[in-house]
Amino acid sequence: MSGIDIHGLEFEYGGQSTFRLQIRELRLEPGECVAIVGPSGSGKSTLLNLVAGTLLPAVGDIRVGDIRVNALGETERRRYRVGQVGQVFQAFELLEYLTVKENVLLPRYIDPSTPLDADARQRASELLASVGLAGKESRRPSRLSHGERQRVAVCRALLNRPSLLLADEPTGNLDQDNKQNVVKLLIEQARAHASTLLMVTHDRSLLDSFERIVDFNDLAWDKA
Amino acid sequence: MNGALQLGWRYLAYHRFKTAVLLASVTLMMFLPAATRLLVEDSAQALNARAALTPLLVGAKGSQLELVLSSLYFHAESPPEISYQVFKDVRDTELVIAIPLHARFRARDFPVVGTSLDYFEFRNLELAEGRLLGLLGECVIGAGVARKLGIGAGDSLVTSPETVFDLAGVYPLKMKVAGVFAPSGTPDDEAVFVDVRTSWVIQGMGHGHQDLAEASAGNAVLSRGEGAITANASLVQYNEITPQNVREFHFHGDTGGFPLTAVIAVPPDEKNGTLLRGRYLDNKESSEQLAVPGAVLDDLLETVFTVQNYVVLGLLILSLATVAVIVLVFLLSQQLRRGEFFTLRRMGASRAFIALLVASEIVFVFAASLVLAALMTWTVRAWATKLLLSLMTF
Amino acid sequence: MIRNASLYVLLTVLECCLATGVVRGDDRPVVYTSNYPIYFFATEIAGSEVDVRLPQMEGDPAYWAPNSDQTAELQAANLVLLNGAGYENWLNFVSLHEERLVDTSAGLADSLLPLMEAAVHQHGPEGEHSHVGTAFTTWLDPKLAAGQAHAITAALVKLKPEQEAGFNDRLARLQRRLKQLDLDLDQVFTALGDQPVVFSHPVYQYLESRYSINGRSVHWEPDAVPNFRQWIDFQKLLAGHPAKLMIWEGEPLPEVSDKLAQQGLISVVFDPAGNRPEHGDYFEVMENNRQRLLTVLGML
Repeated sequence: MSGIDIHGLEFEYGGQSTFRLQIRELRLEPGECVAIVGPSGSGKSTLLNLVAGTLLPAVGDIRVGDIRVNALGETERRRYRVGQVGQVFQAFELLEYLTVKENVLLPRYIDPSTPLDADARQRASELLASVGLAGKESRRPSRLSHGERQRVAVCRALLNRPSLLLADEPTGNLDQDNKQNVVKLLIEQARAHASTLLMVTHDRSLLDSFERIVDFNDLAWDKA
Repeated sequence: MNGALQLGWRYLAYHRFKTAVLLASVTLMMFLPAATRLLVEDSAQALNARAALTPLLVGAKGSQLELVLSSLYFHAESPPEISYQVFKDVRDTELVIAIPLHARFRARDFPVVGTSLDYFEFRNLELAEGRLLGLLGECVIGAGVARKLGIGAGDSLVTSPETVFDLAGVYPLKMKVAGVFAPSGTPDDEAVFVDVRTSWVIQGMGHGHQDLAEASAGNAVLSRGEGAITANASLVQYNEITPQNVREFHFHGDTGGFPLTAVIAVPPDEKNGTLLRGRYLDNKESSEQLAVPGAVLDDLLETVFTVQNYVVLGLLILSLATVAVIVLVFLLSQQLRRGEFFTLRRMGASRAFIALLVASEIVFVFAASLVLAALMTWTVRAWATKLLLSLMTF
Repeated sequence: MIRNASLYVLLTVLECCLATGVVRGDDRPVVYTSNYPIYFFATEIAGSEVDVRLPQMEGDPAYWAPNSDQTAELQAANLVLLNGAGYENWLNFVSLHEERLVDTSAGLADSLLPLMEAAVHQHGPEGEHSHVGTAFTTWLDPKLAAGQAHAITAALVKLKPEQEAGFNDRLARLQRRLKQLDLDLDQVFTALGDQPVVFSHPVYQYLESRYSINGRSVHWEPDAVPNFRQWIDFQKLLAGHPAKLMIWEGEPLPEVSDKLAQQGLISVVFDPAGNRPEHGDYFEVMENNRQRLLTVLGML
C-alpha cells in the first residue's frame, strides 16, 4: 500500500490557451479510497497524469509511498507506472485486436521485466472470474457491453497488484446501473488488493461509497 | 518473443484483409522483377544450351529464327520445306554428320519429328523403356509425352490431321510406341519421334494397300490389262503399319524430292563446319540457307534482354508507386492508432516500445513477403524449365 | 554328383560367354551382313579381326526381313554390309544408322541389270507405276563379286585402319579365287554356246549377262508341280525358244524332270548360292554347279 502526498504542485501547458494547474496540498493515506469531484476540463485528468508520472510538474513534489515521482527519470517513471500504478480510463482503452484476457495481460506485454508467464495468465483468469467474466476470456472487447468492458479495464489495472489505483472518470461511458456497479467494483477491488484508490469524476451521484470526497476546486485554482 | 512484436503480430492477424492486401502487394513487388529476370535468364540459358549443342542447320531460305525454333524446339509453325536431296548432298560432302528433320505433323498436340537414329545419339537420349525405332510406322516418345498421355512401349498413338477438312493426303496414321526416352529436360521430352520415312507416309507420299496382283484384291480391281492393273476407290489403304503389311508400303517417286524441314549438320571440328558454311555462303543461287543456331538466338536474346530491361524498369517504377501507397497506408494506420499508442504510453510503454510496435507491422509484412516471394521465385525456377518447354513447343 | 553338376554349369556358362564373345573380352567391331555371299566375302577378307555375322534367316533370304531383335542387333553393329542392287527390300521399312550401311554394289551401278517383272498398276492420282527394280544376284557374276569384295575391304579398312595390310592381302587372295572361278565358268558356258536355256526362276540375270547365255525364265518352284496353265505357257515359250536345258535353283520333283525329259529338256541344278550352304562355302557351291553343268553338257 502506498499513500499519496502532493505539495505545492504547479503544472502548465501552453498552446493557444495556457492552462495552469496548481495544487497546494493533497494527501491520501495508504489504502484510502478517495474521490475527487470537479467540473469537466478542470484538470482532474491532468492531476492523475501527474500522479502517474505521465506528466512532470514544473514545481512541486509528488510522493507515492517512498517514491518521489517528479524526481524520477523517464524510464523510472515508466517502470513505476507499469509496476506500481493501475489505471482505469473513461473510454476503457481496450485493444480490439486482443482478446479480453490478452487485454488484461497488456501490462505484461508492455514491460519486458515482467514475464508473460503461466502465473500471469492464471492471475488474469482469476481477475476476470472475480468480476463475473469467466467465460468471456477469448471474446473481443466489441463483443462485450460497456459495463463488461470497464470491468476488463479494472482487471487490467489490477494485474500487477499495483499499490495505487487511479481511475479517470471510469463511469463516463456507462449507464446509471453500470456506473454504480463499476464504482462499487473499484472500491471492492482496491480494498481486496490493498491498493490506494484515487478516482476523479464530475458525477456527484457516485460518491456515497467513498471514504473521503475532495472538491477539486479546493485543490486547484487559476485557469489563465 | 518481445511484447511489442507479439502485439504487432496480433494486430496484423486481426486485420486480416488489410494484411493480406499489403502482403500481396509487397510480395508481387518483390517477385515480379525477380521472376522476370529469372525466367528470362533461365530461358536464355536453356535456349543457348540447346543452340550451342546444335552447330549448324540447313533449311529453306527465309527466316532463320523460324528455322531454328522449328528445328530445335519443334515450334508449331513449321518452316518452308526442303528436299531430302539436300540431306543427301550435305551427307555426301563428308564434312559433317547429317541428320534429317521433318517436324510438321502433330499427334495429340505433340510434335511428330521425323528423323534418323543418329538424332538420338546426337541428343544423348537414353531409353527408359522399350527400344528404338525399328519398323516403319513405329515411334519413340519423350518422357513428357508418355507421362501426359499415360502411354508406354507397346501402346499406340494416332497422328492428327492437319485440318479438320483434310480429307486427302495427310491422313491419320496409327503408330506403335516402340520405346520411351528418359527425361532429358529438353523439348525432346515433349516430342514423338519417327523415322523420316514414316513422316512421308503421314504426308501421303507413301502408302500401303492390298496387293492388286493377288486374286484376293477382287473388288478393288477396276480393270486388268496387259501389264497394267487399275484399282477403284474401294481399295483398302492401311492406316497402320504392322510386320504383316509393312511390305505392302511403298513410296511413289524419287525420295530425293521428298520433304524435310531441316538438316542438322554436326561437323567433327571447326574447320569442317567452316568449309560447309563457306559452300552455302558462296552459293547465292541456292534455295537453301545454313544457319548457326547460337548466333540466331543471340540476336533474339539481345532483343529479349532489352525488352526485359524495359519491363523491369516499368516494374521498378510500379514498385516505387506501390511503396508510396504502402507508406501512406502505414502512416494512416499510425494516425488511427494514436489513441492506442497514447494509452500504451500512459500505461508505461516506452517510446522504443511504440516504435517497435509500429515497425513490427512493416517488418512482419516485408519479412513474410520476402519469404513468399522467395518461395514463389524458387517454384518458378523449379517449374521454369517445364514451363519454358511447353511455351517453346506451342 | 555335385561336382559334376558344377562342372556342367561352368561349361554351359563358358559356352554362352564364348558365343557372345564375353570371355574372350571380345571388343572386336561387329559387322553384320545381309546375305550369305556378302557374309562369305567379308569373313574371307576380315579374318579374325572383325566379328562378321549373318542373321538367322527363315525361308528365302531374298524375302527375309529382320524381326525387332535382329533390328536392334543391326542398329548396334559397327557396320552393316549390304548386297545392294535392291536386294534388301527390308531397308525401306527398317530404321538403321545410315552412315553404318555399306552398299557393296554402289560402285557397280553401271553394271546393274533392271528387273523386268511385276505388273504396272495404278490407283488414285499418282497414275501408273510398278514396284520393279534391279536384279540383285550380283554374286553370280564373279567379276561383280570381286567389285563387291573391294567395297567390303574399303569399309573394313575405314573401320579398322591398322589392319589395312591384312585386309588387302586377304582381298587379293579372294579376288584371285574369283578370277579363277570366272575363268572356269566361262569355259563351261562357252561350251554351251548360244543354245537356248530355260531358267526355273528369274534369278540368273548376272550369269546370263556375264556368260552371254541365251536364256529365258519361268516362275517354277523346284518342290512344286507346274499347273496346267504353266505347262501351256511353257510350251508357248519353247515354241519360240527351243531349249534343251533347264537350269533349276534346286532339285526338281522327279515327275517334273521326267516330263521335261519327255519333251527333250535336261534338268540341271545351278544353286544360286544365296543361302548359307549346309556343307562347304560359296566356292564349293559354285564348283559343284560347274561340275553338274559339265556333266549335262556332255549329254546335250
